[in-house]
Parts: sequence; C-alpha cells; structure tokens
Amino acid sequence: MIGCRIVLAGMLAMLTCFGRAAEPLKIGMVAPVTGALAESGRYQIQGAKLAVEEINKAGGMLGRPIELVIEDNQTTNPGSVLAFSKLAGDKDIPGFIGPIYSTQVHAMAPDIERTGRPVMIGATDPRLTHMGNPWLFRCRPNDTYSARVIADYGVNTLGKKKWAIVHSTDAFGTSGMKNLVEVLKGTGVEPVLIQGYTNNSQDFTPVALAVKQSGADVMSTYMTFSPDQGIFAKQLRQLGVNIAWVGSPTTVATTALKLAGPALYGSYAVSDFATDSSPAAKEFATKYEATYKSAPDFLGAWTYDAVHVLALAIENAKSLEPQKIREAILSVKGYAGAEGTYNFDQNGDGLRGYNIVKNDNGEIVFIKHIDFSE
Amino acid sequence: MGIALQLLFTGLGIGSIYALVALGFVLIYRATNVVNFAQGDFAMLGAFSMVVLCIDLEFPYWLGILITVVAMLVFGALFNLAVYYPLRNRGFQPVIISTIGASILLENGVLAAYGPRPQALPSFFSFQGFSVGPIFFDSQYLVILGVTVVMVTLQYLFFERTLLGKKMQATSQDKEMASLLGIPVALMIMLTFIYSSALGGLAGILVAPILFVSVGMGSSIALKAFAASIIGGFGDVTGAIVGGLALGVVETFGSAYISVPYKDAFAFIVLVVFLLFRPQGLFGEKVAEKA
Repeated sequence: MIGCRIVLAGMLAMLTCFGRAAEPLKIGMVAPVTGALAESGRYQIQGAKLAVEEINKAGGMLGRPIELVIEDNQTTNPGSVLAFSKLAGDKDIPGFIGPIYSTQVHAMAPDIERTGRPVMIGATDPRLTHMGNPWLFRCRPNDTYSARVIADYGVNTLGKKKWAIVHSTDAFGTSGMKNLVEVLKGTGVEPVLIQGYTNNSQDFTPVALAVKQSGADVMSTYMTFSPDQGIFAKQLRQLGVNIAWVGSPTTVATTALKLAGPALYGSYAVSDFATDSSPAAKEFATKYEATYKSAPDFLGAWTYDAVHVLALAIENAKSLEPQKIREAILSVKGYAGAEGTYNFDQNGDGLRGYNIVKNDNGEIVFIKHIDFSE
Repeated sequence: MGIALQLLFTGLGIGSIYALVALGFVLIYRATNVVNFAQGDFAMLGAFSMVVLCIDLEFPYWLGILITVVAMLVFGALFNLAVYYPLRNRGFQPVIISTIGASILLENGVLAAYGPRPQALPSFFSFQGFSVGPIFFDSQYLVILGVTVVMVTLQYLFFERTLLGKKMQATSQDKEMASLLGIPVALMIMLTFIYSSALGGLAGILVAPILFVSVGMGSSIALKAFAASIIGGFGDVTGAIVGGLALGVVETFGSAYISVPYKDAFAFIVLVVFLLFRPQGLFGEKVAEKA
C-alpha cells in the first residue's frame, strides 16, 4: 500500500516536471454537468475526453499536450452564457467546444462573436451558421438535412402521405418542424397535424390523442429531451397508435432507448451517428465502448469529432491566432470523423448528411446514409 | 366522449400525485407555519431509493417499497433535526431558506452520488393496463388513484379518531396552548415531518414508473403541488387533495382542447385567478383568522 503511494507520488512529480517542459494547451468546453440534461453532458464529455486522450497519445497539438477545461452550464441559457464568459476570460484558450442545444448556442452567440475565437457546436438549428457569426463551426449536419432525409424516407421509401409532426416548442423542435413542413410542401404533402409541446411535460396523453385522431399514417418527431421521448412513446402505444414513425436523433439516443424500451421498437430515426455507417464510426464505437462500457450515440460522437477537427485545424494553422484557426477549420476537407466526412463550407457547416436507422427490437440497425452535396 | 373520459382518467392520475405532494406541504405548513421547499425532493429520494433497491440490488418490489418507506420515515426525523429544529425560533424566513438549501443539497447530492442518467423503473405489475372501449386504463395510474384514496382515508381516521392525531392537530392550531396542555410540541412537529417525508417518498415511488427517475423530477412536481395547495386553501388538508386533483384535470383538459404548449400555463392561470379573487383558496380559512 505504502509502496503504491510512493510510486503514485513519483508519477505525479514526473507529470508536473513534464508539464513544465511543455505547458498544456487548453480547450474550453461548455457542457451540462448538472441540470435537466446532465446525462447528455456526461456522454458529450466522455466523447471529448476520448479524443483528447488520443491526441495526447499521438504527441499533442503543436507539440503540446491538450487539456480539456469544462464549465458547467447547468442546462440553462444564462448558465451557458456565464460558463462561456468564464472560459473566454482565459486568454490562453484558443478554441472551445460549445453546447449541442440550439437555444443555448443562440444565447451565447453575441458573446462568442465579441470574443472572436472559434467555437465548435453540435446544435442543429440551421440559422446558427447563417446569421453572420464567423466563429461558429458545426460538427453535426443541420436540421435542413434531417428534414430532407425524414421527408425523403417517409414519402418515397415508406410511401406515406398523411403526416403528423410532433415537436418541442424550443428552438430545436420549432426549427425542425418548420424545415420539415417546408420540405414536405415541396413533395406536395400538407401535414394533417402539427402538434407542439413544452419540454419536461409529465403527461403526453393529449398529444397522443391528437395524433390518434388526426388519422395520420406516418409521424415525425422533433423531441429534445429523452425522458419526454420515452413518456410520449409509451403513452402513444398504450392508446393503440402504431403508425410509422420517423423521428429526430433523440429517437435513438441511448437514454431514450433505455427509458422507452419496447415502445420505440419498429421506429425509424435519422441519426447523424450510426456505428455501421463508416469505418471511422466503427472505430470510434469500438474505442468508446472499450473505454466507457456503454454504447456510443451521437452525443459522444460529435464532441469526439469536434475536438479532433479543432486540433487538426490548429495543427494545420501552426498558430493559435483565431483568424488563422478559423481559416484552417474552413479548409478542412475530406476528414473522416465518427459522424461522417467533414467538408466545411464558408458558413461553418461541416456535415451535410444523415443516416436512416431502424430500431429493430432494441437493436439500432443502419439502413442507409444520405449525403447532400450543396 | 371516450376521449374526455380518457383525459379525465389521466388527469386524475396526475392530479393524485400533485395531491400527495401537496398534502406534505400542507401538513408541515400547519405544524410549523413554514413552507417546506424540499417536499418535492422527498419524492425524488423515494424514487431513487426504489431504483437502487429494486434495480441495482434486485430486491422484490414489496421489500423495496417497505425499506423505502421506513428509510423515508427516518429521513423525515433527520430532516426535522437538521433543517427545521435549529432554526425553529428564528421565524419564517430563515427556515424557508433552510429548506431551499436542503432541496439544492439533496438534488446535487443525489446527482453526485448516482449520476445524471434518468432511470426507468418498471411498472409494479407485469401487465400495462387494460382497455375499456376507447379508454386505456394504465395499471400504474390505477395504483396511484387507489393509494391516494387509501392514504387520504387513513390520514382522516388518524387525525380525527386517534389521540396522537388530535395532539398533532392541536399543535398545528396553537402551539402555546398545546404546550400548556402538556403536549410535547417539538415531538409533534417531528412526527409531522416524519409523516410528510414518508408521504413524499410514497408519491415518488408511485410516480417513478410513469415519469422516470431523475434528479429534477421532484421540483417539477412540487411546483404544481404548491399551486394545488394554494388553490385548495393553504393549510387545508381537503383543499390540498381537491386542489391537486382539480389541477391535474384542468391542465389535461386544457392541453387537449385548447393548447398543448400552454399546458403549464393553465395550472398557473388558475392559480393567479384564485390569488386575485379567492386568496384563501377553496377550503381555506379567512386570512384574518390566520393573523
């Protein structure tokens, strides 16, 4: 026991010496460690840490090891703003990993623009990269693509024309719904029901009844929180609704699958991450499972990619100057990440494709990957 | 018609949960004149205890429920000693702040100990429920309704028919008078906390299979339960029950027939209307009497 301690102390001392030799480079991360979405924060942090470990094993960034500095945003908008300004106060942080929730990124956006350093985001509201803020870089496909894939699969593959859309009334859910309505209109389909609900609803009976009465033969959902998805799925099945379901990525989030169980069997979802979609995704999934003993989902995948893309850009820029890093991120082309192949456009969108997956008795089965070129 | 009945059933089920938590609010308020803002967290603790016992340790449900209720009784006593007792003579505000502090401590304590992942607790019965015509009766909602009726009846009998119950009532009505009559006031208050804690825990046990178990589950229920107890008449036991049930039904019908996104608003619109036009609530005493 004592021997152990001495060895530990020795290792610590060595680490400190090493630290002095090459001061670690810090990367800031704003994530929900506490609050309603703390569970998603855990997966996102795990993904990011996995990438940091890999980079450090491979010699670090610009020859320096990197260190993840995490600030809790308490799953709130004010919390996100506060967490970011705390991190931004540290002038030694060249880039950040931001939240996955669109509302929170909207709240932080003015501060991000003022700070003028790159922030990698996982939020999928298309407007975020189209409002003239040059410092937001998206490591997931945005919702115009999810809507196109949902509509394409539902209308063309499943052959369904009577659509019901259930969406959260937050930024993510509303923008998802709007995009889907727009895309469906293009195929000549007018949804028979568009039903919003507020996050953290304890009961979805009225929503489920509305879907039932609408006579829809296919339903799409843009739900933000996994517990909401779980309660809704259960109550929907109890009321005897068994129509085709093509949902947003939350439909196959690990927590939603666990909470809803059989209620989600047979549903389809668009997912930016699917283990079998590419060799890179498979490699990430194997590492993630080996490290954390749980199945990976998009939450861990996007932060894993975000850290890698940021590190790659800094390496290519050979500088910590924000403008140079920005240019380096925008010129990342053909980088094979866990979420897909990154080709950044001038808006800062890295990905333009989604996978269609099916929940086959609890197993997530990859069906196909649909990429859009523009 | 079928739809209205379905909504009524769900509304009463959700309302029963509000009622059970509201009952805890009211009992402690009557005993101490203080609102216990950690009441919702009692439900959260009860639910987590079930997850630990019945999922992690794989105890049978009956044993899990038994241990949870006993643990909540003990917890109520400890809560009384730690959060209320030291501040009992300092008036209203310090105690309220103390309960808010306890609520934050409990939520973050459970978060630190158990992690942020919400847990699913399977329904108490293997069958999910049954359909009568277009109406689906969820077995868990039936249990909730049944337990609420039993608890309310038992509580009524206890407070009206037993000496201990009457002593506790006397304490809540007039502490000085009660102590002059030889009633151990501090003990009676402790018993109130113990009972309220168990009641909260029970609400958590019941609601766990429906809402899933997460750290924040208690506070979202407590907010509605608090509104329910004001609508019913703060400090009135019947009021808490009727207020809870009414709130559950109003928000379910409101969201079905008017607007789903404004579901939470209906509860609070009703609350505001009551505060404006009938601040003493449905069954409450006149404010003047309280002063």
